[in-house]
Amino acid sequence: MHAPVPAIALDDIRLTLKSAAGPVNILSGISLSIESGEAVALVGPSGSGKSSLLMVAAGLEAPTSGRAVVAGTDITALGEDALARFRRGNIGIVFQSFHLIPTMTALENVAVPLELLGARDAFERAKVELETIGLGARLDHYPSQLSGGEQQRVALARASAPRPKVLFADEPTGNLDTKTGAEVAELLFALHARARTTLFLVTHEEVLARRCSRILRLKDGRIVADERVTSS
Amino acid sequence: MSRVGLAVKLARRELRSGFSGFRIFFACLVLGVAAIAGVGSLAQALLTGLASEGRTLLGGDVSVELVHRPATGAERAFLSRYGTVSQAVSMRAMAYALKDGAEGERQLIELKAVDGRYPLYGSVALVPQRSMAAALSCTRTNGEMVCGAAAEQTLLDRLHLSVGGEMRIGSQTFRISSALAGEPDRISGGFSLGPHVLISSEALQRTGLVVLGSLIEYRYRVALPPRTSPAEFRSAAKQSFPDSGWQIRDRNNAAPGLRRFVEQVTMFLTLVGLTALAVGGVGAGQAVSAFLDRKRAEIATLKSLGADGGLIFLMFFLQVMAIAVFAVIVGLALGAALPFIVEWAYGAQIPAPAKYGVYAGPLMLAAVFGLFSAAAFAIPALARAREIPPASLFRDIVAPTGARGRWPYLAAAAGAGLFVVGLALVISPSPGFAGWFLAGVAGALIALRLVAGALRFLLRRLPRPRSPALRLALANLVRPGAATTGVVVALGLGLTLLTAVTLLDRTISAQVMDSLPGKAPTFFFVDIQPDETAAFDRTIARFPTARDYKRTPMIRGRIVSLNGVPAAEAKVEPGSRWALNGDRGITYAASPPKGTNITDGKWWAANYNGPTLISFDAELAQGMHLKLGDRMMLNVLGREIEGRIANLRDVHFSNGQQNFILILSPGLIDKAPHSFLATVRVPPGDEEAVYRAVTDRFPNVSTVRVRDAIAQVNGLLQELGDGVRAASLVTILAGLLVLAGAIAAGQRARIYDSTVLKVLGATRARIAGVYAMEYGLIGAVTGLLALGAGTLGAWQICRQVFEVPFVFDLRAALVTVLGGGLATLAFGMFAAWAALAARPAQQLRNP
Repeated sequence: MHAPVPAIALDDIRLTLKSAAGPVNILSGISLSIESGEAVALVGPSGSGKSSLLMVAAGLEAPTSGRAVVAGTDITALGEDALARFRRGNIGIVFQSFHLIPTMTALENVAVPLELLGARDAFERAKVELETIGLGARLDHYPSQLSGGEQQRVALARASAPRPKVLFADEPTGNLDTKTGAEVAELLFALHARARTTLFLVTHEEVLARRCSRILRLKDGRIVADERVTSS
Repeated sequence: MSRVGLAVKLARRELRSGFSGFRIFFACLVLGVAAIAGVGSLAQALLTGLASEGRTLLGGDVSVELVHRPATGAERAFLSRYGTVSQAVSMRAMAYALKDGAEGERQLIELKAVDGRYPLYGSVALVPQRSMAAALSCTRTNGEMVCGAAAEQTLLDRLHLSVGGEMRIGSQTFRISSALAGEPDRISGGFSLGPHVLISSEALQRTGLVVLGSLIEYRYRVALPPRTSPAEFRSAAKQSFPDSGWQIRDRNNAAPGLRRFVEQVTMFLTLVGLTALAVGGVGAGQAVSAFLDRKRAEIATLKSLGADGGLIFLMFFLQVMAIAVFAVIVGLALGAALPFIVEWAYGAQIPAPAKYGVYAGPLMLAAVFGLFSAAAFAIPALARAREIPPASLFRDIVAPTGARGRWPYLAAAAGAGLFVVGLALVISPSPGFAGWFLAGVAGALIALRLVAGALRFLLRRLPRPRSPALRLALANLVRPGAATTGVVVALGLGLTLLTAVTLLDRTISAQVMDSLPGKAPTFFFVDIQPDETAAFDRTIARFPTARDYKRTPMIRGRIVSLNGVPAAEAKVEPGSRWALNGDRGITYAASPPKGTNITDGKWWAANYNGPTLISFDAELAQGMHLKLGDRMMLNVLGREIEGRIANLRDVHFSNGQQNFILILSPGLIDKAPHSFLATVRVPPGDEEAVYRAVTDRFPNVSTVRVRDAIAQVNGLLQELGDGVRAASLVTILAGLLVLAGAIAAGQRARIYDSTVLKVLGATRARIAGVYAMEYGLIGAVTGLLALGAGTLGAWQICRQVFEVPFVFDLRAALVTVLGGGLATLAFGMFAAWAALAARPAQQLRNP
């Protein structure tokens, strides 16, 4: 019997960025493997390299060296446009600042990744997705007409609509108050549970991290701890 | 869904946010397209008018022109076979006002004697209105035959006459029956040295001015029957009278000079319009960059969702081009309206018959220019946007990626730019000039960009000034996102063009006004008859102050063939073709005239009496590929004279002195009936006395005051110069639009700065000082660059195109450049007012 293919496999990932003050080492030799369907939290102090590791794993940033295999594809070998095409259907991302497109309605925002995939029923599927998360009455609202929580829920719907293999979330509750944040987190884990999507969550909230099955702790660009969370 | 379909869909959603980021892009494009479409439409209205009114302007379907001699009986019979013929005889003459029977004021006139059939087409406007026959008839009054004449109002004003008054032309007395307000065929007559006077053919015979050899033009206009084409007539005329020496023009090209002039001016103004598009293009490129900068997060988001660079490019390219199409439509509407505005404002003052209307050709051309220019300037910015990494959603500290777009995009932008240049060259009647002009614009664009870049580089490395105001002003010029480069390039290009046009105008004006009077004669005397020469010489000799008196025999003739090849078929460079088009002045001389500079060959012996030898203009010989010993056939008074080129001379027309491209050896030509041309230079104090003495004694001699002729030419040049300068202001306007765009783009940052400075205790005057320094510096640098580049451009055009010595008028150049610099400063300060007026508390509450 074959061993299951990991959803994310990183091998000695290093990332050095140029800055006015000279090169800065962001990630220093990170290797890890995340199984399909796992929910992994990445925690660490500010500047430890959490978001950078997410960007490398999501194919948003090319590492300086090392190898990243996501959903069975070596993404370090892909060019920028090939990466963009790879993300369609394979990867969903939720940002701390939502990053909805201001000129598009909630429905259109959710439909965009489906349209990019070439789905003929993009709008029908987007509508179902929004209705599922309780925003059926907000389909034609523009981002500026939505509250922060609603915007993040639209962003969640947008990320999960194409049923990606891996869902990345970067501080998804960071810009929200406690109550709204909790609602969004609830939704995030519900989507993960429903579709058995691999979840890669960057957060500095211990409570949120504890809801995942595994916690990776990052410090100065290195993984300093890899904990399995036992459900209490 | 197809990729393009998806891009269209996304672009449409994007456009919901409106045009706010594209106002300057839009305005620049509208301005450029409107200028090109307007100029093109107006020119088309004039050219269509010239073409459709061809037979009226020419006076017939065909016009046969002879110099010195009327048509022979056989020739007239031939003409009559083709249709109704009308004869008009033109010459220059002197008109003398008669007051109580005595001669008073006198004036050089353009005299036209017409027969009873004139005009075959159109009508003559007389005030008071009356029939031509009544106006020009001759009647015996108190024993003296007096003929009617219609004279232009300018003549009546100069001679202090009114309708009913009398004047003498030659030996005939004329009563002014009407003021001449319009002749249908005036445009085809060419340049006028004096007011026009219309008389009858019979009256002309009575003047005694018609002497064989006098400079008289005989024009026979023929109204062809509907089925006979001018081409048929031409070929029959050539076959029946191959040696008549007549020049045939037809209704299809009634006023070739005016048509060429309209075409040349249109070409120049189209180039000015293209420069405005280039200036606006810099602003458009900057506007697209600023727009895409604001869309960075959105582009990165789309990329993180799986949109590849190509789709991003396509999506924003479609948006930009959609706005460009809208701008082009508005520009075309404005341009198409220009002819109607001109008709409404100046209709009566335009001498040519214009057919005002909407013309598709020039509008399509302007649209193509506009769309391709928009693409050329927008694509580089769009190509950069394509490279925005999705990682920019997370951090800004990464080094900027893709500072330049990928090469296929840059190649596409260059291709669009080259297409615009290529099209401009193809449609230009003078590709050489257009090429120089566009090369100059491109050179200026590149030079200005390099200098602006170097300026930013230097400013960044300058030691920090101690004055905080100056420090802040310099920092504003070099901070990230500052539009310094674009403003310097756009305004600089506009100012460069205006400086070049001003200096060219001054150079040509100086050529006419300043350098001519120094060397040019005071008078030209035309049509001195052979039996008058001795008396004429004595008349001039009575004035001891008269200098450089020169009297030369003159006859007009045409070059009909070169080495046996008919002139029309000979291989001749375009710059020399004019010498074969129509009659030229010819003289003869036994020895070389004073000041002759022979470049090749030698002059004939003083007593030479053999076959005709020719001394020819060296430059024309080069243009006609002629060398010593080559044969040239001339037609003089209907007779053909063949000669060989014995020597080549330098001939300069720019000094206003007597000049003949053809000087023949005596022996044959001197036997032909001819008159003499004389020139003389007298000090201003004696000018009137010489004028009186000659005109009193020789009423048949036409006396041309060179000063008047120059003033007339200069007046035309000034009007043309003013028009061209006004048109060039379009580029300055485009430059100011770019400046406005830059100011608008930086306004938020400026308000923020001003708020912080105010919080820290800076007064408004102090902050205004910072802005004044900032815009003053931009204005000064732009002005100085434009002064340099404009001077260089004008110098090059003088050297390469006009071939005249360049005159640097420092005052005119400084006024232009200072004006531009001050406008920059004023515009910047006006726009900065909002930043100064912002209240700190309000800004801090609502950042």
